[in-house]
Amino acid sequence: MSVISLDPGATLAEPRARQLRRVTRPPAGVVLGGGIVLVLVLAALLAPVIAPDSPTAGSVSQRLFNVYTIGHMLGTDGQGRDVLSRLIWGARPTLLAGVIPVVIGGLLGTALGMLAGLSRSWVRNLVMRTLDVLFAFPAILLAIAIGAALGPGIKNAIVSLSIVLIAPVARVAESEVLRLRSDDFMEAARASGARGTTIAWRHVVPNIAPPLLVYCTSLIGLAIVYAAGLAFLGLGVAPPHPDWGGMLDDLRANVFDRPVLSLVPAAAIFLASIGFNLLGSGLRRMLDVREREVAA
Amino acid sequence: MTRFLTRRLLLSLPILIGVSIVVFITIKLIPGNPVAALLGPNATPQARAALSSRLGLNDPLPVQYLHWLWAVLHGNLGTSISLQSGAGGLALTAFANTMILVLAALVIALAGGVVLGLVMALAPRSVLGRALSSSTLLLLSAPQYSVGLLLVVFAVKTGAFPSGGMHSTNSASLGDLLAHLVLPAVAAALAPMGIVARMFSVALSGVLEQEFVSSMSARGLRRRAIIGHAVHNAVPSLLTITGLQVAYLLGGVLFVETIFDWPGIGQHLYQAISSRDEPLIEAGVLFTAVALVLTNVLVDTLHAWIDPRVRA
Amino acid sequence: MNSLSPALRRARRSSAALGEAAAAATAAEGEELLRVSDLTVAFRGRKRVIEIVHGLDLSLHAGRTLVLLGESGSGKSVTARAILRLLGAGAVVEGSVRLGATELTELPESSMGLVRGGAVGMVSQDPSGSLDPLRRAGPQIVEVLLRHEIESDTRRARAHARELLSQVGLRDPDRVLRSYPFELSGGMRQRIAIAIAIGCRPRVLIADEPTTALDVTVQAQVLELFARLQRELNLAILLVTHDVGVARVIGDDVAVMYAGRLVETGPAEVVLTDPRHPYTTALLDALPLPGIARGALRSIPGQPPGPGARPWEGACAFAPRCRSATGACTSHRPPLSALGPGRLTGCDVIADGAPRPGEDRREVSA
Repeated sequence: MSVISLDPGATLAEPRARQLRRVTRPPAGVVLGGGIVLVLVLAALLAPVIAPDSPTAGSVSQRLFNVYTIGHMLGTDGQGRDVLSRLIWGARPTLLAGVIPVVIGGLLGTALGMLAGLSRSWVRNLVMRTLDVLFAFPAILLAIAIGAALGPGIKNAIVSLSIVLIAPVARVAESEVLRLRSDDFMEAARASGARGTTIAWRHVVPNIAPPLLVYCTSLIGLAIVYAAGLAFLGLGVAPPHPDWGGMLDDLRANVFDRPVLSLVPAAAIFLASIGFNLLGSGLRRMLDVREREVAA
Repeated sequence: MTRFLTRRLLLSLPILIGVSIVVFITIKLIPGNPVAALLGPNATPQARAALSSRLGLNDPLPVQYLHWLWAVLHGNLGTSISLQSGAGGLALTAFANTMILVLAALVIALAGGVVLGLVMALAPRSVLGRALSSSTLLLLSAPQYSVGLLLVVFAVKTGAFPSGGMHSTNSASLGDLLAHLVLPAVAAALAPMGIVARMFSVALSGVLEQEFVSSMSARGLRRRAIIGHAVHNAVPSLLTITGLQVAYLLGGVLFVETIFDWPGIGQHLYQAISSRDEPLIEAGVLFTAVALVLTNVLVDTLHAWIDPRVRA
Repeated sequence: MNSLSPALRRARRSSAALGEAAAAATAAEGEELLRVSDLTVAFRGRKRVIEIVHGLDLSLHAGRTLVLLGESGSGKSVTARAILRLLGAGAVVEGSVRLGATELTELPESSMGLVRGGAVGMVSQDPSGSLDPLRRAGPQIVEVLLRHEIESDTRRARAHARELLSQVGLRDPDRVLRSYPFELSGGMRQRIAIAIAIGCRPRVLIADEPTTALDVTVQAQVLELFARLQRELNLAILLVTHDVGVARVIGDDVAVMYAGRLVETGPAEVVLTDPRHPYTTALLDALPLPGIARGALRSIPGQPPGPGARPWEGACAFAPRCRSATGACTSHRPPLSALGPGRLTGCDVIADGAPRPGEDRREVSA
């Protein structure tokens, strides 16, 4: 049998009951991704309790212990500070700089995308062409430019990443609104004389929420990578306080004598990124949203 | 085709103007007074006022912007504070090196991504298809600097490839360049490869569900021929994906360059940020943005070349 | 044998695979070309297997059109695709499909590829989607002609394609050959699809709702084209439709399907004027006819049972919507029984002559 031909079994054998069951029993990705995210968030919240050591104070006599050293599970850095403790404390700024910009950029971007999608054509053109300008910059580069202009510091990193994330979210929101606009019920709502804001709240928001939620969840993974990247370039938390990107930059100086140790922060960022991407991909399957690129 | 290209180039002019405005605004965002920085704390108010007006800082912002744009169009992007040389020239040399890395990574990402995407789309329920679906998610989650650092460790441990730089000290051969290029290009390419694989697979699956595909099986065409038609129809989506990957790579290679000591824009940026060398940063950002705009023109033109409906 | 060119050898192999179909090229009018017996189609869901078509028998004859009539979801399109084994890996197909003496269900996939578009042509529902949107029409026709070795080189295939386009009534074939699908109207695209379907000299043509997506005037032209091609090529046509009007225009025989089963078959002029199954009656009542007041149109109450919710044994699937249903209808399912030559019905209430649907109809219109 030809494998390429359309397989109607997929659609025919898809009664509502199964869709519902999918919602009630989340896919493995959600469980695994959600677990990773939960562990990271708990580590960040409980840092003062669970961190075995001070994240900022070290002793020169304990410089560059390798991983698996007793008392320093993940070794010590060039200034003798416990890497595990720095990692736990560093989860705070890293997660914040990943999550807050997605929330800010997500809200502003959604509002802008809805404005563009629901307005007259000239307003939409104005908004979308302005966004095109932002798309002419690689997101991280624009964040670097803004961050460098504002100066180092986590607040500035969050501001620059928030600005950068508005455009991609707005574009997704706009395309979802446009898809809705062609649907009959929107026509019906408009024909029945419902006000623009009512339509937006009652009909548009609930319908574009699932795809945007999925998109933003995956975007957090990317934002964490970017936030750590900014910190790596020196645009993150001021030393001696730890964040993962800064630690990556610190420890990579020792790549020749302590290769495994130098990989620890890189692995932590990777793990956070996987966690949110798994969660996003699982949510996508649960909410039945089509796959799209997390482009920024 | 030429007409399409011309029209598309003209259409990107407003974007380029927008880009220049954004870069200008980021310059204006820089806190601190450039006059005070130039003259030092002991200058007289008269001297400051004179310099301010000479630099045009008292003009309204639009006028300042036009002056700045005029200078930029004449290749004057300011002087790099740390390197004491024209920022434009420095950025341009570095940018050429960056493009080598970006193109190499793009080739790897596209080649790998298309093959993986093909398998995923053609055999989505097979063990291999499922395994790829999960592993591409891992790929696209991998930060390029994490992969880069891992590969540096690999290079250090095995000595199979040079762990940094673009050339060996006494060699300028192509082979030497390629040896230096492999690891950074792979490091930059893995995440985009995952994205290309997944998006291409989605695009191709969409095409395979189209009516003409089942019509072709009903006409008895061979599976290979039908897949050929389907892949052809997925190429426009692949072009769009590629354009986005160029953007992703132009951003991501900055970190890879820093980790591998590749003498590109990223390395300059890394140093420029710590020495607060804004002209160099702005020059790098401007070049990258212009390159990206031109890439999108190219992508759209290729799209029109492939799809007669876009051409019309 | 050694002197045979590879192309010729391939051609021999392909005609060998088509076996009886090739012999059928000389079939007399009325000869049976395709016989479907006890066809059952099911799809594997995640939890269970769902039957879509159950125990279907069909017979196609040279020069005759069999209309497979039914509501959407009745399994008629699935039947059409099952004949050519186009249903994919999720489908379980049982029963027999004989093309002449060739049992299609047992043919290896490679030979099946030669049957599809070769001895059996197919025209699908959506003319806008049946062609590759990125390729000009010409090469798409040429590709099929070369695949089935109707022509040996591109130049000749192109000339042949041009002839085919004239044959299906396209006025400027050279321009059409050079056109992309988006430059052509729906009717023109459907004519191209038909040209491709008849291009490899098929004996049987399967058309799945070929006019549904077209404007009414174009519909009539396309149906005329089917009738003309049938005369010229002595084709056996299986036409799948939900439209009683189409069945009236083009059908020689009608097979009415409901919930995956045949409920009534017979010559079109008899079945469509003197139906002996309440479902057929209901379909006819839903059709506007000249001479019948508008108010007399009746829709069929209720909905056909969805896949997986069908009472395969033990009850008539139409009973819940049937005006003539008796208690017996929910406790047993009458088998198809013969009423006259070639005439079968799956209803014993009406066949016994209780409330005659024809009379019912006249009452309403009076």
